Amino acid sequence: MNVIDITGLCKQFTGKRMTKVDALKGIDLKIAQGEIFGFLGPNGAGKSTTIKCLMGLIRPTAGTAAIMGEQIGSVASRAKIGFLPENPAFYDYLTAEEYLRFVGKTFKMPEALLTRRADETLKQLELWDARKRPMRGYSKGMVQRVGLAQTMIHDPDLYILDEPMSGLDPIGRALVKDIILDLKKRGKSVFFSTHITDDVEKVCDRVGVIVKGQLEALDSVENIVRQGIEGYMVQTRLSRGNHEALGGFAVARTNETFIEYFVPVAGFNEFMALAGQHSVEVTLVETKRKDLESFFLEIVGKGK
Amino acid sequence: MIKTASVTLIGLILYGILILPFTTYLHNKPFVEKLGYVPSVPAFKTIAADQKELVAASLVLKVLIYFGGLVEKSESQLAIPPDYMSMSRLLHGAVKLDPYNMDAYYFAQSFLTWDVKQYKLANDLLDYGMKYRTWDWCLPFFAGFNSAFFLKDYAAAAGYYQRAGELSGSDLSKLLAGRYMQESGQTELAIGYLSAMVKGEHNPALKKNYQIRLTAFQEAHRIEVARDHYRESRGAIPAMIGQLVSGGFLSPPPRDPYGGEFYLEGDGKVATTSKYAFAKVKNKSLKNAGDVNERH
Amino acid sequence: MTTIIGITLKGIFRDRVFQGIMVTACAFVLIPGLATLSMRQVTELSLTLTLSLISFIMLMLSVFLGGTSLWKDIERRYTFSVLGLPLSRQGYLLGRFGGTALFLLLVAVVLGIAAGAVVAFTASVHPPDRPIVWGTVALCILFDVLKYILLIAVAFLISTVSTSFFLPVFGTIATFLAGGVTQQVYEYIHSPASKNLSPIMKQLATGLYYLLPNFSAFDLKVNAIYGLPVPANGLFLTVAYFVVYVGLLLSFSAAIFSRREMR
Repeated sequence: MNVIDITGLCKQFTGKRMTKVDALKGIDLKIAQGEIFGFLGPNGAGKSTTIKCLMGLIRPTAGTAAIMGEQIGSVASRAKIGFLPENPAFYDYLTAEEYLRFVGKTFKMPEALLTRRADETLKQLELWDARKRPMRGYSKGMVQRVGLAQTMIHDPDLYILDEPMSGLDPIGRALVKDIILDLKKRGKSVFFSTHITDDVEKVCDRVGVIVKGQLEALDSVENIVRQGIEGYMVQTRLSRGNHEALGGFAVARTNETFIEYFVPVAGFNEFMALAGQHSVEVTLVETKRKDLESFFLEIVGKGK
Repeated sequence: MIKTASVTLIGLILYGILILPFTTYLHNKPFVEKLGYVPSVPAFKTIAADQKELVAASLVLKVLIYFGGLVEKSESQLAIPPDYMSMSRLLHGAVKLDPYNMDAYYFAQSFLTWDVKQYKLANDLLDYGMKYRTWDWCLPFFAGFNSAFFLKDYAAAAGYYQRAGELSGSDLSKLLAGRYMQESGQTELAIGYLSAMVKGEHNPALKKNYQIRLTAFQEAHRIEVARDHYRESRGAIPAMIGQLVSGGFLSPPPRDPYGGEFYLEGDGKVATTSKYAFAKVKNKSLKNAGDVNERH
Repeated sequence: MTTIIGITLKGIFRDRVFQGIMVTACAFVLIPGLATLSMRQVTELSLTLTLSLISFIMLMLSVFLGGTSLWKDIERRYTFSVLGLPLSRQGYLLGRFGGTALFLLLVAVVLGIAAGAVVAFTASVHPPDRPIVWGTVALCILFDVLKYILLIAVAFLISTVSTSFFLPVFGTIATFLAGGVTQQVYEYIHSPASKNLSPIMKQLATGLYYLLPNFSAFDLKVNAIYGLPVPANGLFLTVAYFVVYVGLLLSFSAAIFSRREMR
């Protein structure tokens, strides 16, 4: 069963002077159980709009979506997930501990479990020392961590996180990555939006790229990485063999000991055969590929 | 830091310079301005929202404080004639907002009769109040006195006193009703009324007012008693009060607390040059006081 | 819903609203002194002043708490996090309303006790002509509470359609003033004095009379101050009116709020 099932989701906003803006133009997306899905896109592409539709905060103009089989907008559709809004704000007169207890109660957690889980998540997100202080005194990163804590307290099967890394310092980001990887290990599903490709590459199974309200790419990270191989960097020892035989390949770099060749994927076998014939010693082979960042930029560029 | 401190200091000095003329200005504002103008009652009711009783009470207090201030200033003498018209208008406005406000009726009664001589207006107001304060014996007691003493309408007075007697359960009103319902009982009627008023009054300014009036009437009554003794022994009424004093009928000599001179009219009736008032009130300004009632 | 009520109450207390009220309530101490200015009704005046003060405090509370509750949640983006939880919009709205109304009731009880002490003190120094009917005083405060709870419901209804702070606050004040005079206006247009009024005006005024809340029925101040009897029948009708009117307001608010887009 898919944990998220989006079909033909459209959202049209009516702006000032009755101008219509199509924020989402028919999104189709299915997230499987246990999948970590990265939702990439530049600012204003429709990431948050999609998530708000899923959470029932706004109403889609057309199309349907279901979370764990429950139609979006219903209370039941939100009952088994943990949701982190973008730049979250929580009742700032409450302490982190009080807020977590409040969230747990809305999920109808039994009292003993709630107390135990609140303590666990507060410790996990390094909020333990601040737990008795009202959140109005928290830094942005602390609020973001409260946001993560409140998604985890009831240990849901699906996490919907809107920009979970924003506002966090490198240590915080690493913490979040670890948490997501841990969730993955435990078979949980995570749907998170970001505009930072690095985050995606490290933790995601699958990526979707949204540009101007349309899903421009949808593939597994593995595939993207494989498709992205452009060729190899082959390092050879200058003092050994006949390098003239390899004249058909571009020299990328040279110094007194080594010559480095750039070898396209199609020419790799030929290169290796020639090198063998002419006693060229290959000291290192390195895969040359586009990273996710350029993949992303390419798609965004195409969409423009 | 020094800049802020000096600005604050200059501000404080300016305040010190300004506050005295400002207070003096407010203090010496014309009385009409001080009492304020009562907007039309429907408009007032709208603004008062659910605080009609509070607004009514504040109107009454405004009049009271204004009047109290005048009395105190001149040491229980009203040197400046109070703006009775505005006072009446405010009190009428007050009872439209809160028809149960006893202070308004009580105070209106205290000056509309003796000082302003608007007896009809006073009794109309009391009649209005009686429709609401159905338990209160004071209102018919006042109205009865007004009818008997000022309007000489003994039939109406009897009706009011009857009602007051029934409501109070005391004999006071019944007593008044029986004994003084005639021209000759006027002074005793006034003394009876004023004694009751003095006894029930807590406000020092008003109490003083009543006390002065009561003293005047008690003096008048003393002269009446002496005059009757004189007639009994000499067989004729005296022409002058001096005759009563020199004949040993009246001792000490009577003194009018309003500063006037008592004298005997041709038929032997006791009167005073002060007409039981400190200053002559211009009646012109008071004519309009009656209009207020009609407008409502 | 009960969790939202709890959170709402906590929020109001943490914002030191209660302390603010207690400071304002210090004015109660002045009332016995102020009331002696009266000549013939010291106790009545002290009752007037205490009831008015309570009324005023409750008016401020219902306008500012009622008018800003939803606005603040939307403005400070609390709605994104809270409405993402498995709570229905209706439950959230009713919880917010319930918490505010409960706080008002609590304030009324505390202030009512203080008022009782003040008035009892005044009455012991200046015994009134007629004994104070404490039951009517309590009833007066209770009906004041009902009136202001109704006003809170009005504030919530306006909040559900408004995106700004001003509309709910000033709309609520305007409704309060209008709701206080509708009865007078209605009586005026049905009296001979209004025969020069155009029929359209009359119909408009009559329409507004039925549309706007009627607050005059809730005002028992005069009964409490002067110990006048309160008709039981009227009270029953007023309570029924309160229940139906608040129910309507809340159901409209819930309908609008559940359709509102949280952008």
